[in-house]
Amino acid sequence: MPTDAPALPHPDLVAAIPRLRRYARVLTGEASRADDLVQDTLARAWEKRGLWQAGTDLRAWLFTVMHNLFVNQRALARRDAATLSLDATSGLGDAWQVSVAASQHLHVELQEVIVQLGRLPAEQREVLVLAAVEEMKYEEIAQVLDIPVGTVMSRLSRAREKLRRIVTEPVPLKIVR
Amino acid sequence: MTPRSPSEAELHAYADGQLSSERAAQIEALLARDPESAALVATIRQQNAELIRALDPWLGEPVPDRLLRAAAAPPRGLAIRWWRETLALAATLVLGVAIGWLVRDELLESRGTPTSFAQEAAFSHAIYASDRGRPVEVGAQEEARLVRWLARRLGVEVPPPDLTDAGFSLVGGRLVAGNEKPTALLMYENADKQRLTLQWRKNDRRADEFEFRYAAENGVGVFYWVDTNCAYAVSGDVDRTKLLEAARLVHAQLVAAYAPHLQR
Repeated sequence: MPTDAPALPHPDLVAAIPRLRRYARVLTGEASRADDLVQDTLARAWEKRGLWQAGTDLRAWLFTVMHNLFVNQRALARRDAATLSLDATSGLGDAWQVSVAASQHLHVELQEVIVQLGRLPAEQREVLVLAAVEEMKYEEIAQVLDIPVGTVMSRLSRAREKLRRIVTEPVPLKIVR
Repeated sequence: MTPRSPSEAELHAYADGQLSSERAAQIEALLARDPESAALVATIRQQNAELIRALDPWLGEPVPDRLLRAAAAPPRGLAIRWWRETLALAATLVLGVAIGWLVRDELLESRGTPTSFAQEAAFSHAIYASDRGRPVEVGAQEEARLVRWLARRLGVEVPPPDLTDAGFSLVGGRLVAGNEKPTALLMYENADKQRLTLQWRKNDRRADEFEFRYAAENGVGVFYWVDTNCAYAVSGDVDRTKLLEAARLVHAQLVAAYAPHLQR
């Protein structure tokens, strides 16, 4: 690690943790795996701190670091799964779980929103959450995910259409405890 | 010239508040005559609002210690520590969980040195002083309760020092989880909204000499010292002279409070 790289602003890092945890949970669909991803992200951020330009949005950069880690980890997991089992193609969407402990204070309809979100493919989920919940500019989202702005908008449109259809054609909910 | 009708993509951008105010105003006018587009915008906004309502409560959940530790700058001597941690991980994988835990305990213990008390103090300061909404658990208006609570949890009573002479007044206090023992934290604030924290925890080792030490961690300065009862740290991201002035006031008042004790 280069010792002359500037330190990251520690209070800003700490302040970003709740949002990183939320985004990680949206990505992984599981609270405990999400925290592992956040921990890896923070460690990687310190390792790669030379890549962060002071004065730019630290949160967006941390999301980028997390996105890249998640994509790499998912690729590795898929490769391992493929060698272990032939029916592992069902994908990560199944891993989406709502931790009842974490959300028991929510109203049922809000829990349903989370479950519906979990039924979207990961790539639509992340665009939707970055735009609707993190309220990021489409250009920023394109940078975080390293995709063209046009792709951001088409994924967003598909995510919202799918969410709308899920809501109007309800399917029995399964909440994993 | 009549403004062009919005594309579907533009309606999303409009609903997300991402258009220039000029274009947004044009679309707003067009929507009045285009119920289908208006319905799409309404649906998007409702979805956004529901997602925010569903996901915002996650932000309020307490952050696990391991993540707070990961956010702190990697300590010096990292290479060696990393190597040991890698070994610990390898041992866990190869020999099972039990051995991994033993090495982990040893690692945790190696961090419980006086130097790390200053690091922890700077770290806790950075976390809580930046919290505008809820920097303390018990406010200064309940000082007596605060003192009793901290005394009970730490096993040692420390009267809150008065830092009026340095321009700081007590905001309140909280308990902080330390590596080995609970640490008490009192927060002070001046008229410029700058914050200082005084932290202490019970100390079993008797100090041979009174010595002020200074350390800086990520822009937070820490004066720390040890007496017969406790290890203390005064932290803040104010200039060093101001911090020293506050630390001297704290020290002088503690010595006065403990005078009978010291003469024993």
